[in-house]
Amino acid sequence: MVEIGQDDSIRVQIRPDPFSAFEALECWAGAAAASAVFLGRVRPQTLDGEPLQALELQHYPGFCERQLLQLAREQLQHHGATRVLVLHRVGTLLPGELIVLVAVEADRRGCAQRCCSDLLEALKHQAPFWKREWFSGQGTWLSGNTPL
Amino acid sequence: MIWTLEPHQSVLASVLRVLLFASLRDRAGWEERSIPVSEAGLTAAQVWDQLELGPLESVCVAVNQELVRSDQPLRAGDELAFLPPFTGG
Repeated sequence: MVEIGQDDSIRVQIRPDPFSAFEALECWAGAAAASAVFLGRVRPQTLDGEPLQALELQHYPGFCERQLLQLAREQLQHHGATRVLVLHRVGTLLPGELIVLVAVEADRRGCAQRCCSDLLEALKHQAPFWKREWFSGQGTWLSGNTPL
Repeated sequence: MIWTLEPHQSVLASVLRVLLFASLRDRAGWEERSIPVSEAGLTAAQVWDQLELGPLESVCVAVNQELVRSDQPLRAGDELAFLPPFTGG
């Protein structure tokens, strides 16, 4: 597991193994008045509707962690949130497994919800991760993100 | 033409480290190569052309783990990465 973060306000982890969202949140959660959480899981079907065997996630080590940290810092400042947690899987994932967890704490629900949503979208489009769907022993790299 | 260093050339300082990811790795059949910087002002776009992996459009370029324009001049010792569209999250 690779973990980076400048201080307690931002924590970013690349996780090579399955993780429990609830355990991660329990360890991370503070006493903020508002918290927003997004959990993304592997769908059971490929984009073409075929049964998915596995989802492979590749990243650019080093650059990816720094990019996540930068994105989290920008969104935290932009929305006036207080704390951010980003956990992102890499490696081979099975249907139903968690891919990503984004959690944000703030003093108000609006800040927390908007920051969580914007950080997720920034991560999807600006962090160097790539997905490959496996079906019937064949792997297909995805060429774009799923619609919002 | 694709340049590749022989093992005995690895001590040369005037090389770039080129990285490919995801579909580009499959297309090229390799993940990482060292190539000599044979001319001043060499750009990422020029290196890409030499790799013969198709059009550069929709491929992002990173030098030393920073996203840059493809016409940025490269220097010996740089880490040059070609990145297909990101699909994480």
